[in-house]
Amino acid sequence: MQAELDRIVSEALASFANAGDSPRLEQDKARFLGKTGSLTELLKSLGKLEPSERKEAGAAINAAKATIEAALDARRRAIADEALQARLAQETIDVSLPGRGRGRGAIHPVVRTQQRVEAIFRSIGFDIADGPEIETDWYNFTALNNPENHPARSMQDTFYIDGHDSEGKPLLLRTHTSPMQVRHARTHKPPIKVIAPGRTYRVDSDATHSPMFNQVEGLWIDEDISFAHLKGVYTDFLQTFFETDQLKVRFRPSYFPFTEPSAEVDMAFDSGPLKGRWLEISGAGQVHPTVVRNFGLDPERYVGFAFGSGLERLTMLRYGIGDLRLFFENDLRFLQQFQY
Amino acid sequence: MQFSESWLRSFVDPAIDSEALAHLLTMSGLEVEERNPVAPPFTGVVVAKVLTVVPHPNADRLRLCTVDAGGAAPLSIVCGAPNVREGMVVACATVGAALPGGLNIKRAQVRKVDSEGMLCSARELGLSEEADGLMDLPATLVPGTPLRAALGLDDMKVVVKLTPNRADCLSLHGIAREVAALTGAALTLPPCTPVAATIDDRLPVAIDPGAHDLCGRFAGRVIRGVDARAATPDWMKQRLERSGQRPISALVDISNYVMLELGQPSHVFDLDRIRNGRLGVRWARPGEQATLLNDTTVDLAADFGVITDGDQPEAIAGIMGGGHTAVSLDTRNVYVESAFWWPAAIAGRARRLNFTTEAGHRFERGVDFSRAVDCLERITALILSICGGSAGPVDDQVLALPARSPVRLRVARCNRVIGIDFTRESIARIFDRLGFAWTVSAEAGGDVFTVTPPAHRFDLSIEEDLIEEVVRIHGYDDLPAIPPASVAWMRVLPETRRSADTVRAALAGRDFFEALNFGFVDPRWEADFAGAGTDAPAPIALVNPIASQLAVMRSTLIGGLVANVQHNVNRRQARVRLFELGRVFRRDPTVADGPLSVAGIDQPLRLAAIAHGDADPEQWGVKPRPVDFYDLKADLEAILSPRVARFEQAVHPALHPGRCARVVLDGRAIGWIGELHPRWQQQYELPAATALFEIDWTAVAEGMLPVASDLSRFPPVRRDLAFVVDRGVRAQDLVDSVMAERPPYVEGFEIFDSYAGSGIESGKKSLAFRVLLQDTRKTLTDGEVDSSIARLVEIIATRHDGRLRQ
Repeated sequence: MQAELDRIVSEALASFANAGDSPRLEQDKARFLGKTGSLTELLKSLGKLEPSERKEAGAAINAAKATIEAALDARRRAIADEALQARLAQETIDVSLPGRGRGRGAIHPVVRTQQRVEAIFRSIGFDIADGPEIETDWYNFTALNNPENHPARSMQDTFYIDGHDSEGKPLLLRTHTSPMQVRHARTHKPPIKVIAPGRTYRVDSDATHSPMFNQVEGLWIDEDISFAHLKGVYTDFLQTFFETDQLKVRFRPSYFPFTEPSAEVDMAFDSGPLKGRWLEISGAGQVHPTVVRNFGLDPERYVGFAFGSGLERLTMLRYGIGDLRLFFENDLRFLQQFQY
Repeated sequence: MQFSESWLRSFVDPAIDSEALAHLLTMSGLEVEERNPVAPPFTGVVVAKVLTVVPHPNADRLRLCTVDAGGAAPLSIVCGAPNVREGMVVACATVGAALPGGLNIKRAQVRKVDSEGMLCSARELGLSEEADGLMDLPATLVPGTPLRAALGLDDMKVVVKLTPNRADCLSLHGIAREVAALTGAALTLPPCTPVAATIDDRLPVAIDPGAHDLCGRFAGRVIRGVDARAATPDWMKQRLERSGQRPISALVDISNYVMLELGQPSHVFDLDRIRNGRLGVRWARPGEQATLLNDTTVDLAADFGVITDGDQPEAIAGIMGGGHTAVSLDTRNVYVESAFWWPAAIAGRARRLNFTTEAGHRFERGVDFSRAVDCLERITALILSICGGSAGPVDDQVLALPARSPVRLRVARCNRVIGIDFTRESIARIFDRLGFAWTVSAEAGGDVFTVTPPAHRFDLSIEEDLIEEVVRIHGYDDLPAIPPASVAWMRVLPETRRSADTVRAALAGRDFFEALNFGFVDPRWEADFAGAGTDAPAPIALVNPIASQLAVMRSTLIGGLVANVQHNVNRRQARVRLFELGRVFRRDPTVADGPLSVAGIDQPLRLAAIAHGDADPEQWGVKPRPVDFYDLKADLEAILSPRVARFEQAVHPALHPGRCARVVLDGRAIGWIGELHPRWQQQYELPAATALFEIDWTAVAEGMLPVASDLSRFPPVRRDLAFVVDRGVRAQDLVDSVMAERPPYVEGFEIFDSYAGSGIESGKKSLAFRVLLQDTRKTLTDGEVDSSIARLVEIIATRHDGRLRQ
């Protein structure tokens, strides 16, 4: 009997191993474990044995059955696994093909600089202000201590538009963002901390001048905001913007009608192609008492600083852009370099 | 202001080199813009005198010269220059000399004749671009003297960019005074010794009593018997040239020289050509003209000051002399004027006539009124020594001079503004170095200086002016950089306000590139894209545009973006997607002056986007299709989300009339969307489909605070319905009708398909909708759903003549 069982087991194992797919395996299973399978037949014959033999034979048959069922399970898993592997192999794609759908655009590099400048000043509690580009003579000049006929006015060649303000003076395109100092300060109470980025216009067009360009104005007015604070804030700003403490910053006496003392701010990199060269980056100074008065504030009580910087200049230095005109051609080959 | 460094050092000679001097000036506010050597480096070149000239034995064009170059024996030199002659004083490069351009002079044989050096042209020494033979040097130079010393070639031309407040530095004297203050080096001034009158001649000058606000002081004298043809001395020519002034004639050169030297513009009249034998000073009368020495005739307004011949304007006061009385080479007798014109009477006048002059530049900024006569004496002495002649007495009319009111400086205020602690002593030292007259007193708030500004400073009238001087002389470099402490208020945009950054990032994320365009545009764009002049008012014009295609302010962003597309298409870009956030400008009488507005002008921010070419970038997995209205609509809807705009068919001059909509948000028209009109697509040479939108920024910036509602626990029922309607029926109209009445349980009614073609009769289309029904309290029964749908079908049948598609 045992010999018979051993034969059936080895026959079953052999035929399972040869079964290449699931239907064949199930057929083979029937040959051994089905209703008329050889093992089932043996079980049926148990009743013909003596009770004393029956127990031992039953155990042997069950052991053989367990062996066959285990082999069957293993083979089932193997066949399912092979089928999955075949499917996976068949479904394999070329992962190097590009992703589908839309591309990505970009924010203009000058605006990107503007956003960064805003983020830096916002981090120390500055407001952001924006205002008109067609301005009145008063806000653009007079309020900023720059009266008519003053030689300082020839420093900025002004575009005028066909139209007059409420005082009969010709309207103009703001030559700087400084009018926003006045507009903001007249509607806010100290401490006044604001930057005003925006478009400005001057009658000037060559390789290094664009008739429209972007500036950012800064203003901090409180009871004791000093020239040394200006140096502190602006130095911190430049080192933060360019992300290097090695950046050198120097202040140089200059003249603007709306500040006194006034400074031209220069900076120098400690590495890179411009290493060691002093680059003009901003005009700044303590707000002139006349201007503070035009803010509607008492200059005896309130002092503070203002600065104005060119956003194009910051952008060119930050990203290594050599030609100002690129900013306004809006050539995709240029803009695509600023994707993010 | 350009000058020669050696001239400056003749007044003040600090023990620092040229570069350090330039740095010192820059850091004191006199920015050195340029610094150029007057001659390139060379060595071994000396003054030599040509002794003999004989033809070269072996060459027709060469000569054999013997020259005295200061050595024991004459040198024998072969020379090819046609202008060499016996007795000529020349520049001789001796053996061992190194010339500009790397030429080294060696003992040589030229056509078998020994040559012991080279006689030089100005070009060979890098002193001139022209090669017109040997340099013909003044006969007074001594042979053997190094040429650099003889001609003062170790000198720099320095250009200082002066700020308008520092008129006191528009002269060598002024800059020297500054250097002396900064370094402590001694200042030596040129002599202004009075020249005694040797003749009695005077010229009457009548200053109009109403013009004392024009002319504060008028000094002058007659000089007779001058030789206007006398040569300007070489030293003077050299200084003028190195200061950027072209020598003209002795009388003019002397006037210019003293202006550069001392800062006082003067004018030399040809005495014999002053018509009535007298001069007058007054304000111009309307309609008057003056013919100037540059041969132009200008119209004068009443705020121009004039010097008259007693009757007619002859010169523009403080700006330019007249043509009729200008000196010429035949001039024998002159009248020299040295006046003080009030800055306010000169400022801006020349600019209005579209020119500038050295005199006007100085007078409008302020000239030292105390030295008018000193300068007149200096000019007189130079004229007499160079041109000869006899001087008459000085007439000096002092009418009204600027007051030099004392200015107070509180030490405490100074320290508050600057942020460091100056002491009374340190401030006193600074004022002393600047030559200011000061006193100091102790007051309740601390020490107070009282300073009387010197006559040469026109920029010291308030306390801040003095504070600036204190910190300037102290040195900006020595100022600490201190971060301020401040009150920590929190500041952030309201949650419902969207920042420009957010929207820009969203558009960049939807494949748009941000563009920046000028605020002024081509008037044609305004006509084409905004209907300016036809549908809309004319755009705001610039008075002084930089070019005709930048002549009007934009009232729409469309023109710039279309031009940007064109620019890129011309550079072989098949697909261009751009956006811009910027201001547009239009007249609007309802706009009043306000904190952020200018009366009569509306200048709102707009957001516009344009897409040209395929909807998607060319790629392997997506079938190409041209961009259209609905692509841009999706972009716009995404930008506005969660707010939902309505799109109403309307007509816009830039857009295809059948593919154009007005965008309406909360009942307010906020902008336009559409495909570019085929006419413009053709005219602006855009090869592919182009769609765009332009909307008010304020509408985009307004977000919405979410309000949460409870979720229903019961499942929604979805039914899909298709209706056949006339082709002209708009999907939105069906939605509006259904949502206006809202049959019971209808929560949503959204289109998911639009179809026309086979299976649908012509003139009709099929619109398929997804209907969502829901009750928050119970599960809907089929009966409830059916009766609701029946009502919905009825609404569409009656309102839109739509029937359910079977």
